Amino acid sequence: MFDPEEFIEKQTEDLAAEVDGKAIIGVSGGVDSMVAAILMDRAIGKRLFAVYVNNGFMRKNEDAEVAKAFDATGVRYRIVDAGEEFFDSLKGIIDPEEKRKIIGSKFIEVFEREAIDWGAVYLVQGTIAPDWIESGGQLRDTIKSHHNVGGLPSSMKLKLVEPLRDLYKDEVRKVARSLGISVSERQPFPGPALAIRILGEVTPARVEVVREACAIAEEEIEKAAESGKMDVPWQYFAVLLPLKSVGVQGDVRAYGNTVAVRAVESVDGMTANYMRIPHDVLETISVRITNEIKSVNRVVYDITHKPPATIEWE
Amino acid sequence: MKIFVIDNGGQWTHREWRVLRDIGVDTKIIPNTTPLDEIDADGLVLSGGAPSVGLEVDKMGRNSEYLEKADIPILGICAGHQFMAIFFGGKAGASGIPEFGKATIIVDDEDDLFVGLPRKFEAWLSHNDEVSEVPPDFMVLAHSENCPVQSMKHTKRPVYGLQFHPEVEHTEHGYEIFKNFVRVCEVG
Repeated sequence: MFDPEEFIEKQTEDLAAEVDGKAIIGVSGGVDSMVAAILMDRAIGKRLFAVYVNNGFMRKNEDAEVAKAFDATGVRYRIVDAGEEFFDSLKGIIDPEEKRKIIGSKFIEVFEREAIDWGAVYLVQGTIAPDWIESGGQLRDTIKSHHNVGGLPSSMKLKLVEPLRDLYKDEVRKVARSLGISVSERQPFPGPALAIRILGEVTPARVEVVREACAIAEEEIEKAAESGKMDVPWQYFAVLLPLKSVGVQGDVRAYGNTVAVRAVESVDGMTANYMRIPHDVLETISVRITNEIKSVNRVVYDITHKPPATIEWE
Repeated sequence: MKIFVIDNGGQWTHREWRVLRDIGVDTKIIPNTTPLDEIDADGLVLSGGAPSVGLEVDKMGRNSEYLEKADIPILGICAGHQFMAIFFGGKAGASGIPEFGKATIIVDDEDDLFVGLPRKFEAWLSHNDEVSEVPPDFMVLAHSENCPVQSMKHTKRPVYGLQFHPEVEHTEHGYEIFKNFVRVCEVG
């Protein structure tokens, strides 16, 4: 059985032996990169510098939450606002694989700049097993290129360190609890962020729609879970679809956007079932999204397992 | 107890490694091009693979060498199971109705793999192909509504096939199936 204490001890030793210079770590505020950061902090201490990139597609209040989580750890970090760069690079892009690869290489561009500033030769990432499994290679088919694996350009000069490569999310959470990390139970959030919850082109206006929809879905589901109506799902969010449909809003014909809501249960992200969340919770989410977001007049709930679907839509 | 996972490129190959490790087996994932004489194990799991790999012999590396010459128990999963059927003279091909996600497994013969399990349980699948004709010397152990061969077994050797995936968290009794396979390996 996986023993988090043993893992922490062994990894800290191995990392201290492997990483003999300065390192930067790419962090998102999620549990994987946070665990990797704490292990690295234990292994190389002040030679570590954490970089959080706001790519313009983050959720509501994400910067503040990441700052709060990092302030509590004592790890040195910087928040880089790179929104404009990322938006520019995605202009006209609708293919999900192309999107993921562009975002992956943009991240590396930012990390390489920061590495020069810090004098780092190592890049640490919180890559976990499903990231490299789904990114494919050799015999394995590419399901989706995770930004931290399939998005890495071959020209990258930094040496890659990935201490969590063989772990799944449930194991990472065990390590996080053992390390006393505050974000240990935070729901998974993909590196390309809201960009892959927008099917079709990523524009600031569409990001605004999906950001608001995600916030409403998260808020209502968390509220229902707190009041004991349901368990907290493994992952729960909203997706903006690239199609419009007819509606009627205030006695006026509407031709508006469709938002899909998704909530799944899983242990490790490799298989998942759609969650049977109570209808009154779905109703509240639907009413709030269509009332509070002007351009949306239809909400659907995704009832597909993984497989055949994946958890995220792109 | 050492059981190695032969990597045929499946999405859940690493899960097979994890389940074996979790039940206390000394395990590692090795490429399917590893020569048999370099494999020092008490049992082998032939993993699943990318679409139709069970039918594309060139992508299956040395799986045929293992099936032909290894004198240790072998468990083939999904593509590993389909390849096994073809190797021993049966047939595999496109499923009439492929299964993705959840299906009910109905055990016809508990034999070694399904000892202590209910006759019906939920399993998770992800396959476009399936075994359409069981090889001579093989018997069917389980089926589902849309797939007649969910599990099969060689009648003279400890060689087993599973179409569904016992290694994923969503499959009921998956860990028990692996434990049953470990018991087969202990007997040798």
